[in-house]
Amino acid sequence: MCGIIGYNGFREAKNVLIDCLKRLDYRGYDSAGIGIIDDKLQVFKEVGEITHLEKEIPTIRGDIGIGHTRWATHGAVTKENAHPQISPNKKFAVIHNGIIENFKKIKEDLEKKGHTFTSQTDTEVIAHLIEDHYNGSLEEAVFETIKNIQGAYAIVVMCEDEPEKLIGARRESPLIVGVGDNENFIASDIPALLKYTNRVIYLDEGELCVVTKNSINIYDKNKKEIEKKKDIITWDYKDAEKSGFPHFMLKEIFDQPNTINQALRGRISEIDQTINFSEKIEKLLSNDIESINIVACGTSYYSGLVGKYVIEQTCRIPVIVELASEYRFFGTRNKSSLVIAITQSGETSDTLAALREANKSGCKTLAITNVIGSTATRITNGYILTQSGPEIGVAATKTFTSQIIVLLLAALKIASIKKTLSSNDIYYYILRLKELSRQIRLILDESNKIIKISEKIKDSNSIFFIGRGINFPLSLEGALKLKEISYIHAEGFAAGELKHGPFALLTKKTPVVAIVTKDSTYNKLLANIGEIKARGPQVIAIADENDSEIEKHADYVVRYPSNSTLLSCIPITVILQLLAYHVADLRNCPIDKPRNLAKSVTVE
Amino acid sequence: MKAVILAAGEGKRLRPFTETMPKVMLPVANKPVLEYVFDSVKNCGIEEIIVVVGYKKEVIMEYFKDYKDIKISYVIQDKQLGTAHALQQAKNKINDTFIVLSGDNIIDQNSISNLINDKSEYSILIKEHSHQSKYGVVFIEKTILKEIVEKPKEELGKFISTGIYKLPYAVFNEIEELTSQGIYTLSSVIQSIIEKNKNINTIIADLWMDIVYPWDLISVNEIMINHFPSSTSGIIEKGVNIKGAVSIGKDTTIYSGCYIVGPVIIGSGCEIGPNACIFPSTTIGDNSVIRPFCEIRNSIIMNDCHISSNSHLSHSIVTKGNIIGNNFSSITGESTIDTEGEFKKLNNIGTMIGEDCTIGSNVIVEPGVIIGRRCKIDHLKRINKNIPSESKVM
Repeated sequence: MCGIIGYNGFREAKNVLIDCLKRLDYRGYDSAGIGIIDDKLQVFKEVGEITHLEKEIPTIRGDIGIGHTRWATHGAVTKENAHPQISPNKKFAVIHNGIIENFKKIKEDLEKKGHTFTSQTDTEVIAHLIEDHYNGSLEEAVFETIKNIQGAYAIVVMCEDEPEKLIGARRESPLIVGVGDNENFIASDIPALLKYTNRVIYLDEGELCVVTKNSINIYDKNKKEIEKKKDIITWDYKDAEKSGFPHFMLKEIFDQPNTINQALRGRISEIDQTINFSEKIEKLLSNDIESINIVACGTSYYSGLVGKYVIEQTCRIPVIVELASEYRFFGTRNKSSLVIAITQSGETSDTLAALREANKSGCKTLAITNVIGSTATRITNGYILTQSGPEIGVAATKTFTSQIIVLLLAALKIASIKKTLSSNDIYYYILRLKELSRQIRLILDESNKIIKISEKIKDSNSIFFIGRGINFPLSLEGALKLKEISYIHAEGFAAGELKHGPFALLTKKTPVVAIVTKDSTYNKLLANIGEIKARGPQVIAIADENDSEIEKHADYVVRYPSNSTLLSCIPITVILQLLAYHVADLRNCPIDKPRNLAKSVTVE
Repeated sequence: MKAVILAAGEGKRLRPFTETMPKVMLPVANKPVLEYVFDSVKNCGIEEIIVVVGYKKEVIMEYFKDYKDIKISYVIQDKQLGTAHALQQAKNKINDTFIVLSGDNIIDQNSISNLINDKSEYSILIKEHSHQSKYGVVFIEKTILKEIVEKPKEELGKFISTGIYKLPYAVFNEIEELTSQGIYTLSSVIQSIIEKNKNINTIIADLWMDIVYPWDLISVNEIMINHFPSSTSGIIEKGVNIKGAVSIGKDTTIYSGCYIVGPVIIGSGCEIGPNACIFPSTTIGDNSVIRPFCEIRNSIIMNDCHISSNSHLSHSIVTKGNIIGNNFSSITGESTIDTEGEFKKLNNIGTMIGEDCTIGSNVIVEPGVIIGRRCKIDHLKRINKNIPSESKVM
C-alpha cells in the first residue's frame, strides 16, 4: 500500500521524485522519504505530508534516486521507520512495498552476526542482506537477497558504488517500469508516471529489472534475461488531476454519466438487440456455467453482491459472493463454476490470491478490473475492463457503478446465451441502460437538495442504511462510503433484519436512510419505516420519482428517476455517494485521504 | 503571456439550453464554443489559460479535464456582476501584460496572434457587424479607439467591440477604481482609459462569431462544420452511401441502407439506421441513436439522444438526453419570435428542444417553437407554442 518511485535520467531527480510522490500519495501517506545519489548517497525522510518533506530537502543535484510514501505495516510512524532504509555502511538504499514474513528470523540471525538495526521496519533487513551479499554487482546481491526473504515485496534498490543503475524486483506486490527517452522509471502504479511517459512494462512474479538511463534489462527468477512487451497506457495524466473540483471524489462522482457510457461503449447494440464482448469472453460466459462465484474485497465485494441479485434474476443460476480473503482459504471450489474476481486496481492481493486458488482447482476465471495489464488480467482466463479511467479518491465511486454495469452486461450475455431472457427482454434492458447516463445527470443536478439533507444528519454519531433485495448491498455500500470518509459510524442492514437485533441500537438520534423501490417488497419496506419512526429517528427515504405515497412516511425524500428495478441501483448509488460526500465535506474531513486507509490494498 | 477567458456567465437569452450548462459550453460542430477559444489561444504561444468560471462551473471543469498541451487554471466569480469584475478575480494569477477574451465567442487563431504581436500597450479586436444593438459600438480614428458606446438604440457605426483585449497589468488599478464605484463592465473601464488619454489600438478580427439566441446555433454550426475534416471510424455496414465530408466517431455503427450527405459530423458510440437519411449540415453528438427511416437535415442533435423511426427533423436543435418517439415531425418554415419585446422574423426554422425531454409518438411541432428542459409530451400532440421547462403536455 506504500507508493514507490525510482528515477534514472537527465532531470534533477529531486523534482521528479517529489512530483511523482505527490501523485502516489493516495497509496499511503503517513510518512515519506527520498534517496538521491550525488557522489554520495543522501537520504531525506519526514513524517507527514509530501509537501512537508519537500520543504525539508536542501538543494541537491543528482539525477538518480528513489522515493517512497509509507502506509505503516511494521513499526510506528516515525522518521526512522520511513523509507528509504539504508544499510550499515550507508551505501545501499532500499524502498519497499509489501510485508516480509520471515523478517524477525532474519533480523535475529543478523543481530547474532553483529548487525545493529536503527528502525523497526521489515525493510531494513533487506538493506542489510544486500550489503552482506554484495560482491561488486548490485543485481547479483539483490538476486541472493530475494532468495532469503519470504512474503510479498516490490523493492527498488540503489548503491553508491554503482551510481548508474536502479534495481527493481517484485513478488506479489505490483511494480512497473516506465520507459522514457534517456530516462527510465520504476513505480508501483501508473498515475505516478503519466506526466513523463505512457509506455510501461509490467514486471511479473519473481522478476528483477536493471534500469539505467537508456537501458532496461529484465531477468526471470532463474536469472535468465527475458524480452517483455511495452504497454501503452491511454490514460492522460490530467485524468489524475482535480481540474478545479475541491476533491477527487467529487470529480469522480461527476464523471459518472461519462464513465457509465464508457462501460457500455461498444458492448450493446440497440438495433441488433445484442450484448457484445470479445470472442474469448463470450466463450467463457457460455461455458456451460452452472454457478458463479464472485470474489472481491471492500466496495468491489458490494458490487459483487449487487451482481448476485442481477445474475440470479436474469440467468437463474446460483451465485455465491465471497470475500476474497475468506474464499482463498475456505471457499468451496466447483469446477463447473465460473469464478469472477472484481478488483479496481487488478492488484488487490487477497483477490489475486483467491484467483490463484481458483486457477489451481481448475475453475475458469474472469476478472473485472479497471487497469489493463494489471496482474488480475494476466492470471485469469479472460478479463473485462470497466474503462473508467484512473480513480484517485480513496473512496471508490465511479469504478463501483462501472463494475455493476459490467456485471449487468455479463448477466445479460449469459441470459441471452442460456435463453433465460427473450430477445425482447434484452432489448428492454438495452433501452433502460442507455437512459442511465441521463438519469445520473438529473441526480447530479439536484445535488443541492442532498446538501440540505446532509446538514440535518452531519452531527449524528451513528447512521443506519436499510434496503431489501438489490438495495441491501446498496445500503451496505452507502454505509461504507459514509463511514470511510466522514468517520460517522454507519451500518447497512437488510430492512427485514432490523428487528432481529440492530433495533436495540436505534435511538432518536440515529437517522435512518431507507432505499425504497416500487417492487414486491414496497409495502414491507413502508412497514419497516413505520417501525423505525415509532422509535423516533429521522428517516431519509431514497425513492422513485413516481412514488406519491412515501412523503407520508419519511421526513425527507430524495428522488431518483424511474427505471427497471435492476437498473435503478445505479442512480441510487449516486445519491448515496453524494450524501456521504456532502456529510464529510460539512464535517471538514480529508475526503480524498481518509485516515488509516489507502487506495489499492496490496498487502494481505 | 497569459490569457484570461471569461466563462462565468449563464447566457439567459439562450435558455432553455443554458439551464444546465453555461453558454460557453454550447456545442458547435460537436465541440463547445469554449474549446474553439482554447484551441485558438494555445497555438499563439500563450503559456497559461486562466478561466474565470461561475455559473455551472463543474460542467466546464469536467469537460476540460483532459485538455492537452496547455496549463489551465480556474478562478471563481461567485456573483456574475460584470466583465470587469470577472477579470478582477484573476488578478492574483497575473503579473504582466495579458490578453482577455470572452469564452462564448468563436475566434480564429490569426486574430489572436495579431493582437498579441501588436506593439501598442493597449489593443482591442473589433469586428464589422450589422446588428449593433446588442454590442458595444466602437468609434475609431485611424486605428486608435476613440469611444465605446454600449448597446446603442440606433445604428451608429460600423464596428463593434469583440470584447477581446490585450492589456497591461496596470489595468487592474483602473478596474479597482471603477468597481469600487459599482461599475463592473470592461467597456466602461476601457472608456475611462480612453478618457485618460491613453492610446488603445484597434485590430480587425478575421473570424468572430457570437451566439445570442438559440437559433443562432444552427447558422454558426452551419459555418463551423465546414472546418471539420472528414474521417470515418466505427462500423459502416454494406449498402451505406456516404457523400462529401462526413466524420464518424469510433464505436459508432451505421447500418445498411443509410444515405449521408456531408458536411455531417457523427460522434462516437452512435447507432444510425438502417435506412436513415442525414443531409447537410447536420451534427450528431455521442451515444445517440437514430432509428430507421429518419430524415435529418441541417440540424444539431446532441449527446445521448434517441430519435425513433420515421422522424423528420430540419433546421432544428435537439439537446442532450432527449427521447423522441416515432413519427416526430418538425415543420420548417417562417416564424416570428418575440424576444425581449422585439419581434424577430426567422425564415427557415424548425424546433428547438431543451435537455432530457421525453416526447411520445406522432408529435408535430410548428416552426420556431422552443420546448423547455425535462418536458414530457404525450402521443399525438401538435405543439404550436413554446413550452416552459418541466411541463407535461397531456
